[in-house]
Amino acid sequence: MPRGLWTTTVGSFPKPPHLERARQEHARGELSAERLFEMEREETVKVIRRQEEVGLDLLVDGELYRGDMTTYFAERMPGFAISNPVRSYGNRYYRKPIAVGPIRRDQELTVSWWKFAQAQTKHPVKGMLTGPYTMMDWSFNEHYPSREAMAMDLAVAVNEEALALQEAGAKFIQIDEPAVSVRPEELPLAVKALGRAVQGLRAKTITHICYGDFDVIYPALLDLPVDMIDLEMANSRYDLLERFRAKPFTKEIGYGVLDVHSHRIESKEEVKEGIRRGLEVLRPEQMYIDPDCGLKTRTVEEAFAKLRVMVEAVREVRAELGIAVEQGATA
Amino acid sequence: MRFGTTLAGSYPKLPTRGGEVNLRVVRNRRDQGKATDQDVDAAIRDTTRRVLALEERAGLDLLMDGCAGWDDAQTYVACGLDGFRIAGLIRYLDTNTYYRQPEIFGPVAWKAPITVGDYEAAASMTSKPVKAFLPGPYSLYRFSKDLHYRDAVRASAAIGEALAKEAAALEEAGAEWIHFEEPWLGRARAEDAAAVRAALTPALTGRKARTVVHVPFRAPNPIFAAIRDLPWNTLGLDLVEAPAGWELIPLFPDGRGVALGLIDARNTKLEESAEVARLAMRAASLRPDLSYQVTPNASLEYLPADKAEAKLERLVEAARLAGKGVS
Repeated sequence: MPRGLWTTTVGSFPKPPHLERARQEHARGELSAERLFEMEREETVKVIRRQEEVGLDLLVDGELYRGDMTTYFAERMPGFAISNPVRSYGNRYYRKPIAVGPIRRDQELTVSWWKFAQAQTKHPVKGMLTGPYTMMDWSFNEHYPSREAMAMDLAVAVNEEALALQEAGAKFIQIDEPAVSVRPEELPLAVKALGRAVQGLRAKTITHICYGDFDVIYPALLDLPVDMIDLEMANSRYDLLERFRAKPFTKEIGYGVLDVHSHRIESKEEVKEGIRRGLEVLRPEQMYIDPDCGLKTRTVEEAFAKLRVMVEAVREVRAELGIAVEQGATA
Repeated sequence: MRFGTTLAGSYPKLPTRGGEVNLRVVRNRRDQGKATDQDVDAAIRDTTRRVLALEERAGLDLLMDGCAGWDDAQTYVACGLDGFRIAGLIRYLDTNTYYRQPEIFGPVAWKAPITVGDYEAAASMTSKPVKAFLPGPYSLYRFSKDLHYRDAVRASAAIGEALAKEAAALEEAGAEWIHFEEPWLGRARAEDAAAVRAALTPALTGRKARTVVHVPFRAPNPIFAAIRDLPWNTLGLDLVEAPAGWELIPLFPDGRGVALGLIDARNTKLEESAEVARLAMRAASLRPDLSYQVTPNASLEYLPADKAEAKLERLVEAARLAGKGVS
């Protein structure tokens, strides 16, 4: 019996409003770090439960304790300072890391959260890191003489954290590199830095990439030294499949079927159709079905409504194809 | 030689001093139902006034209003044109900022002034000249999804015609300078020449105002031959991220201007004014007959407000030193 079409998510889940408020109160000094930590753990348990209830195969901790995907790490690493707010769009702002000295890792960054999340479930939980190229590209640099020098120091730090996650028991380690797709001329640097970041890992390695000029970076993208590349497919109306038809996608794929920027809940039929289209050029055992990107910009209700549709669609396609349902088989 | 000073796009909206109106807070309060649209409009006006005053205090001689009411560099104008609707949020090139993608679903046409009210408001707040900001027609095409024309030249031409009317309305309101933001000229290839010319020719032809075509992030070398003879007044080059732009200065047509993007709007590290002055003088030595402005290489909004303010001071000092021949 064939295997495949496992279900997962890209990483982040929405923070419930009371947790957002608590983070703001903490930032203003009105709520203790201990109380915020307690609340983050309570909500992480709920996110794990809800992923189980929806029926996902491969879980994440939801990153409810993180703000921005680069700033969270930079705040914990010597060599970084954090800027005043910079606008990303409309009325959304974030504090951007600034390299002000040699960057290194002198403490665990995510391992205790991973252990806590994994202890809540029998399903495998992915270790989730931001990649060295993206950390470099999305930071200001007041210290390093070159982008490569900064990326490679970050690669060493990310590698140490990835090895620590593996040591803790993580079987899947995702190192996100969304910035890779927008500077195609630097793809060789991204490949080199990610190669250093995954050095010595036996766990299944994944990288997530979104948006960008795939006309230029595909199939060179397949040079990224990981087992699985996670891509947004739905947002670009699955037009990447035409490229896969011309040049086969040779790795495992995180296959995005939910548009995370839309409030609309997809219909089961359209998700099934997206999967079926993928199966024309990909094998089921290559495919992990997930949303296009992190779900943190949706409401909690929207996020799980979308995931319910996704899991139901996958179950029906699995049934149609006679694909075995293997609880925990991804571990 | 005199080196002019001006911005190259929008400016951070957040204040750096306590007690000043914070547009972000007012917008959040509006979203929570605690403030009105009128409150937001007032905060936009206050922010514009503050940004203009800050530019004036720093000593810039050609001001920009900072685009306080804009969510991104495309949709504010695209929303006001017939034939466009606004779709999902996507990343703005390699900047880790985002924009909502315009979709062309029907014939593109100008119907009424979009930015003129903003220009008039800004112009009334200062005695210095204000440079109006518009998306470049070619870049607006490239940032959009074309569901109607399905033809780069026709779509670009339609956008160019529409923006020409907006530019004319700005001129009618008194604008003497108009900035067209054209990041995609730095990514255009020689085979894009027809679409580039179709977009820019109507937008630039017959202008009473002086026009700036600003190309941040990459150098427009591959497309320069196609735009060289178009009637722009100043071409803005990003000489921080795209040093290849230096090669173009000797090739400029007579009587034109160069906006020297020498202040890094995408890194917090502060430049030495003397070094920037040295580079400005080097440019001028290549073609002493051209006119020069010292500018950031891109919108200063990629920086936090405190750093943007510090960079403005360095920029003005650099232009002053270059004007005196000191570096």
